[in-house]
Amino acid sequence: MDAFQGLLAGFQVALSWEGILFVLIGVVVGTLIGMMPGLGPISAIAIMIPITYGMDPAPALVMMAGVYYGAVFGGSTSSILLNAPGISGTVATSFDGYPMAQQGKAGKALAIAAIASFFGGTVSVIMLMLLAPALASVAISFGPPAYFALMLMGLTAISSLSEGSTIKAMISAVAGIMVVTIGIDPQTGTQRFTFGNVNLLDGFDFLVIALGLFAIAEVCMLIMNRKNRNLSDDQKLGSLKVTRADLKEMSGPMTRQSFVGFMLGVLPGAGATIASFISYIFEKKISKNPEEFGKGSIKGLAAPESSNNAATSGAFVPLLSLGIPGSGTTAVMLGAFLVLGVQPGPLLMSDRPEIFWGIIASMYLGNIFLLVLNLPLIPYLAKILSIPRPLLISLVIMFSLIGVYSISFNTFDLYMLLLFGALGFAMRVFSFPAPPFILAFILGGMMEQAFRQSMTISNGSLSIFVNSPLPLALIIVSLLSLTIPALIKWRSRRLLLKQ
Amino acid sequence: MLSTMNRRIGLLLFIIASVYLYLSFQLPNYPYAPVDADVIPKGLGILMLILSIALFFSRAIETEAEKAKRAIPKKELLVLLAVFAMIFVYILLFETIGFILMTALFIFFCSWFLGYRNWKTGIIVSILFPLGMYVIFVFALGIALPSGILPI
Repeated sequence: MDAFQGLLAGFQVALSWEGILFVLIGVVVGTLIGMMPGLGPISAIAIMIPITYGMDPAPALVMMAGVYYGAVFGGSTSSILLNAPGISGTVATSFDGYPMAQQGKAGKALAIAAIASFFGGTVSVIMLMLLAPALASVAISFGPPAYFALMLMGLTAISSLSEGSTIKAMISAVAGIMVVTIGIDPQTGTQRFTFGNVNLLDGFDFLVIALGLFAIAEVCMLIMNRKNRNLSDDQKLGSLKVTRADLKEMSGPMTRQSFVGFMLGVLPGAGATIASFISYIFEKKISKNPEEFGKGSIKGLAAPESSNNAATSGAFVPLLSLGIPGSGTTAVMLGAFLVLGVQPGPLLMSDRPEIFWGIIASMYLGNIFLLVLNLPLIPYLAKILSIPRPLLISLVIMFSLIGVYSISFNTFDLYMLLLFGALGFAMRVFSFPAPPFILAFILGGMMEQAFRQSMTISNGSLSIFVNSPLPLALIIVSLLSLTIPALIKWRSRRLLLKQ
Repeated sequence: MLSTMNRRIGLLLFIIASVYLYLSFQLPNYPYAPVDADVIPKGLGILMLILSIALFFSRAIETEAEKAKRAIPKKELLVLLAVFAMIFVYILLFETIGFILMTALFIFFCSWFLGYRNWKTGIIVSILFPLGMYVIFVFALGIALPSGILPI
């Protein structure tokens, strides 16, 4: 099936009544959860997974993808209105979005953010459509050593690109793989670290980890900040109108940063947050009036908004074509695929074209829905920001508990959810990034399997990882991604000491 | 020796890594497996030991933002513990008492405890949310939630 036929088949899925309905549900739920300050896209996806249990995979995954990019789309609203970013990918949006809102132009800022998001999202779906099949057809020949090296690169990239200490990020990642080793080893049947507990034989379900480390931990942070600002009833949004001159001003940054965002989204470890910051700095550097940035510049608002949405679709490239997520959020997306019995990867395009192309086609539709939803309806949607925090906290706790209970019907998993919630909270308090943990947890089992397959092929010799060019190159990149930032830090400290 | 938080955490991780490594050496071995079940855990244990030592001796100074993040007032920590205790009680009882009743009680008391004083809305949400979820999960998704003592 060539790409054009594939896309047609994809639109058949996306434009069926089921497809349209679930894209709509996905983007609406994503927007609403994304808007809530403190609740990120990982929580949004994890909370929605139980709903998909009995569903057909194609509409279910179309919905889950919608939740993801919907959350990134919606995160900008609270950045602009409250200066409290809904998700980390929209922190840069608040730099110029919030000043605009303070100047009484909140409506205009929201409209600009919506247009830039739509543009970035759509441009990047087109690129996803072109790049993913090409990458999948190359990846089909990858052996276990290349897969192992790719996953290793994903983990080192996310560790070195995480905010704060690289050592702490690496500890997070190693801890994530350690947790995967708990349970029966699928290859030899050996019980590892189960302490004779029957409940641990199957290991931890990824939903327990995702909801614990993110939803419950985020709720803990919300409890700490429960008295923070809410949207007051009298806040005026102002006109939503965007003039022709505004559009002209934002067209440059929007186009450039859609490409930048997409590329950063494809790369492992980067994703929407880093993309939005880089795009913001990029536009500020090349601007003729950099002093306007931070004071309500249209360019400064459009750049991160098109970039973070472009990065979101970009992140689907490695997920769909290699089956390897490059970020915490796409790791949870992979979990959603696996729950439905769908294995993304190079074979997805030929084995389940309706899913591969259905997701891509649905993103065109989803972006249009988001634009329509966000432009006229934004004043009504923003009302969700006035939900009292205590009520929101109780409801999110309940959603998480129901989600975990409905996979196992076992209260042991609920206690573990609480335990991982406490761990996630401690990690946030002591500045250990959580995304490397969840990515390592998802990749850990696959990595161990790929490692053992490689060793079986090579009769136990590690040389298999350096004898062929692709694994060797990937391993070198992984090592460099850890050492270069450390070297830069070391050198800059020496320079400081000399002065 | 334990002057900074990073050192304390480094030491804790060192202990955890040692226990983990000790347990991985207890794993049974089988001949003829190129990579047995203990290889990866041993590697991870050693890696964690190295990282914990690196954290202990790292000269990275905590930034002000990082310090602010872990400066939690004791009172807030107690609030958090109380919420965890409520969740614990919920998990303990909801299979016997039932999903709808326990969820309604939890939402009402948890949001009351966290400072929500509009009891009329509180009661409405605490009744409608569990009922809605029950209908969606049991009737639409076919996932059985415990009905408990309610005659449903």
